[in-house]
Amino acid sequence: MMKLENVGGILAVVVLVLIQGCAAPQPSPDLLAPTDAQMKIRSLQTRSFDIKDRQLAMRGVIAALQDLGFIIERANESLGLVTAARFAEPNFYDVVGVTVTVRSETDGRMMIRANAIYNNKPIEDPKVYQNFFATLERSLFVTKN
Amino acid sequence: MACLAIASPFIGCVAHTQPDELFELKPESAANRAMQTRLFETKDGAELLSASAAVLQDLGFQVEESVREVGFLRATKERSAREYGQDITRFVVFLLSTPLILVQQPPILMPVDLHQKIAATLVTRPVNPETTRQEVRVVFYRVVWQGGGSSGQQGIPPGEQRMEMLRDAVMYQTFFAKLSKAVFLEPFAL
Repeated sequence: MMKLENVGGILAVVVLVLIQGCAAPQPSPDLLAPTDAQMKIRSLQTRSFDIKDRQLAMRGVIAALQDLGFIIERANESLGLVTAARFAEPNFYDVVGVTVTVRSETDGRMMIRANAIYNNKPIEDPKVYQNFFATLERSLFVTKN
Repeated sequence: MACLAIASPFIGCVAHTQPDELFELKPESAANRAMQTRLFETKDGAELLSASAAVLQDLGFQVEESVREVGFLRATKERSAREYGQDITRFVVFLLSTPLILVQQPPILMPVDLHQKIAATLVTRPVNPETTRQEVRVVFYRVVWQGGGSSGQQGIPPGEQRMEMLRDAVMYQTFFAKLSKAVFLEPFAL
């Protein structure tokens, strides 16, 4: 008798799993909605600079990345894009990639946003972006004067 | 537990640099910058960029990407990476490991470098507000592909890739000597 109950229980679980498997998972309606975490990362990655000339800002970005030992892979002046990468020296297996966008703001300032990845995983550590912007600030100051 | 204790020092040998350290200027950053950079007294940034492209072409590079507005060039060349030294080492290691046959193991065949792609990225930019002085910064690096080999019963398939920055000062000096000839200007070091 006990044995039969056990079999019944297992069958019930199997049937439940099968039914669950048949139903396609519904995407939640807020799948693409902005989350607090996204906003936080965006604000970490973005900084506004008191520069009017976008080309000057881009040259500053390129110089800062070169100072940090990055290899500039691509630059697009009309879109204000710079893509660069470097190895996590001393090992040459891990790669850090960064894309920087330079956009004009309405009040004559430049908004600079950096997105960094470490071996295809996004970097969310605030320290990384703080260090990058510290170097960029120095480079922009040198470029301006 | 004991196994872990023994293994941990070996795991520690593989250095993993934290990402935030990679976005910091290092003491050697200034030295690298000085080696990779020269200043030229000219107003014409475009001329300097096209002369740089010509020098890279003279050195056998193919220009792959160029953006005049921000003074950017990227060029590559592919060459053989064979070195006699590596072949000799491979042979010596093979000879020394032949006694492994006695324990039913094949001798060790070290993989050697076969092919390489050398790349250069170059950026020119004005360094003063009157734009009478331009800076040229060039960075060389290479990607190396290795051939096959074997270690014990384990075969090492060919095609393993390795990349490295080229930090040989003579290479940069040669490049800038050619560039200064091409633009008829005397370069200044930082």
